[in-house]
Amino acid sequence: MSSNMIMLKSSDGASFEIEEAAARKSKIIANMIEVECVDEDKAIPLQNVTGNILALVIEYCNKHIVDDDDDVATEEASEEEEEAKKKKVDDWEAEFMNSMSLETMFELLLAANYLNIKSLIDLVCQTIANNIKDKTPEEVRKIFSIENDFTPEEEEEIRKENAWAFG
Amino acid sequence: MVSIFSLAQNVINLSLVQKLHATSVWLWKSLSSGGSPTALNETVPAFNISLTTKESPCVRSANETIMISVSIPNELILEVLSRLPAKSVARFSCVSKLWASIVYRPYFTELFLTRSSARPRLLFALEEDGVWSFFSLPQHQNLWSHVVTADFHMKFPPDNMRIYSHRDRQFSCGYASGLFYLYAMLIKKEDYNGVPVICNPNTGRYVNLPYLYRFRQCYSFFGFDPIDKQFKVLFMAYPSSPDRNKILTFGTGELRWRRIKCSIKHEIVSEGICVNGILYYLGDRDGWGGFYEERYVIVCFDVRYEKFKFIYLATFVDRFINYKGKLGVIFNDHYTKDAKELRLWVLEDVEKQEWTKYAYTLRYDQFFSRIPFVVGVTAMGEIVLSMGEYTREEPFYVYYFNPERNTIQRVEIQGFGEYHKAFRNHVYTFVDHIEDLNYVNDAKLLQPRIYAPKEEEEESEEGEEEEE
Repeated sequence: MSSNMIMLKSSDGASFEIEEAAARKSKIIANMIEVECVDEDKAIPLQNVTGNILALVIEYCNKHIVDDDDDVATEEASEEEEEAKKKKVDDWEAEFMNSMSLETMFELLLAANYLNIKSLIDLVCQTIANNIKDKTPEEVRKIFSIENDFTPEEEEEIRKENAWAFG
Repeated sequence: MVSIFSLAQNVINLSLVQKLHATSVWLWKSLSSGGSPTALNETVPAFNISLTTKESPCVRSANETIMISVSIPNELILEVLSRLPAKSVARFSCVSKLWASIVYRPYFTELFLTRSSARPRLLFALEEDGVWSFFSLPQHQNLWSHVVTADFHMKFPPDNMRIYSHRDRQFSCGYASGLFYLYAMLIKKEDYNGVPVICNPNTGRYVNLPYLYRFRQCYSFFGFDPIDKQFKVLFMAYPSSPDRNKILTFGTGELRWRRIKCSIKHEIVSEGICVNGILYYLGDRDGWGGFYEERYVIVCFDVRYEKFKFIYLATFVDRFINYKGKLGVIFNDHYTKDAKELRLWVLEDVEKQEWTKYAYTLRYDQFFSRIPFVVGVTAMGEIVLSMGEYTREEPFYVYYFNPERNTIQRVEIQGFGEYHKAFRNHVYTFVDHIEDLNYVNDAKLLQPRIYAPKEEEEESEEGEEEEE
């Protein structure tokens, strides 16, 4: 492997080799690289991310770093190609998210937040929003294990105020 | 000339993407089932591409509610909530006291507005027997979404009230900055005269304006002044009628019709549009005090300062649109057997009357049946065209025409049928609908009030001179 590769280690002990450029999508890892606290052959331990979630994060970063590289390499690329490429990424993201359960999405969101990858936070938040937008308050309470702390009177009041949203 | 091949290509690209996606599913599965994951990109055997998931987990979760086991910090809950449609936010304020406190915070309202401004929506208003229903969906559609279901907002008006039919000669409607205006609403079934009404197409909250007596045909327009954040309704009188032009400011204090003068006699021959604080519509001067080479006039009304300006034209204008904050004028002419030329003029400077002019050729075979109406332009510069009628037998399409690349993307809109019995519905489509929780929550601004009829017929109060 080339010297541009670094190693990431998940909380459950799985090791992942990843291009440095891809890993830099994470502000946290980029910082670690900046301050040179990464040894040549030592893995970066990520205590809050399990292997299966880290694999998804890496898949995302790899996909996006490839696209960034292409942009630099083909500066002369026509607008059409640019657009086609952007649409390809959109499609890829949609399919990438579509393959996940809601549970996985939330785990991925926590990981993206911990690793500080803004574009991934955006993507996952929007996908979760699209998934829950038509749910009832009861369903939302169940998903998030939230206890209903309104008194029946209070709940009736707030439902009445927002009656239009229940149509 | 426009050459269109993107539709066929889309289909091909789509199936390719699905195959690629199968790869990632396979990868993820192999990893989560305890495989030893290293050098991800090299572990994908080509033959696994055929392994597609028939049903994604997300689709299943629509039917059964899944409980998640991880605990999500509040700041991430807030991030998710800020990306929901306004209707979902309002509904989820009933989840718990914490969630209610999150969504009612001014910080959240601001964040929500920032996010919704970045993802404007298409707003659809359908009419059936004097009742309107509103739908919306995100304006930006990805390549993969050829068919999308519009979110239903609500029907208007409530309580067996009715709106004049769109075929009525006095009917007008207008959309400005999140609110919808309709003329006129019949409060009781037996009413003959309706009152103007402003409603929020998200919540259905509304306010009816004082009745205004009109002797003859007249037109009304709805504008928004973005500086003082005021909505105004402008009534223009028919030139030979005893009616007078009237204006009303909505949002502050008492609702009262005031007289307003316009120096040019003209008949109104278009609907109005409000772009950046200026209300535009088309007038026809022919026969009103003379005959003119430039018989048409674009009336430009400054909503804030309440002043008229006029731009004279020799040709009829088919439609006005908001072209990225400027007035766009659409001319439909130069028809041939299988195509028509779409001419678009953009008003760069009202004072100097400077125009940028574009012309595009649209072939009939690029569209489902008739050439649809131009309804606006996206921030990306795509011209949005929408069908003007919804029928039960045909799909309803919105088209995104990219003039720079000469491509047209067609998106089928579903979901209207559930709410309509009629065979045919008139559809008004508006671009750049931005959801704002401030309006949504502002029950004070929109409160139905019944005004005594003809209350403002006491013209003498104004103490103004007649126009002529």
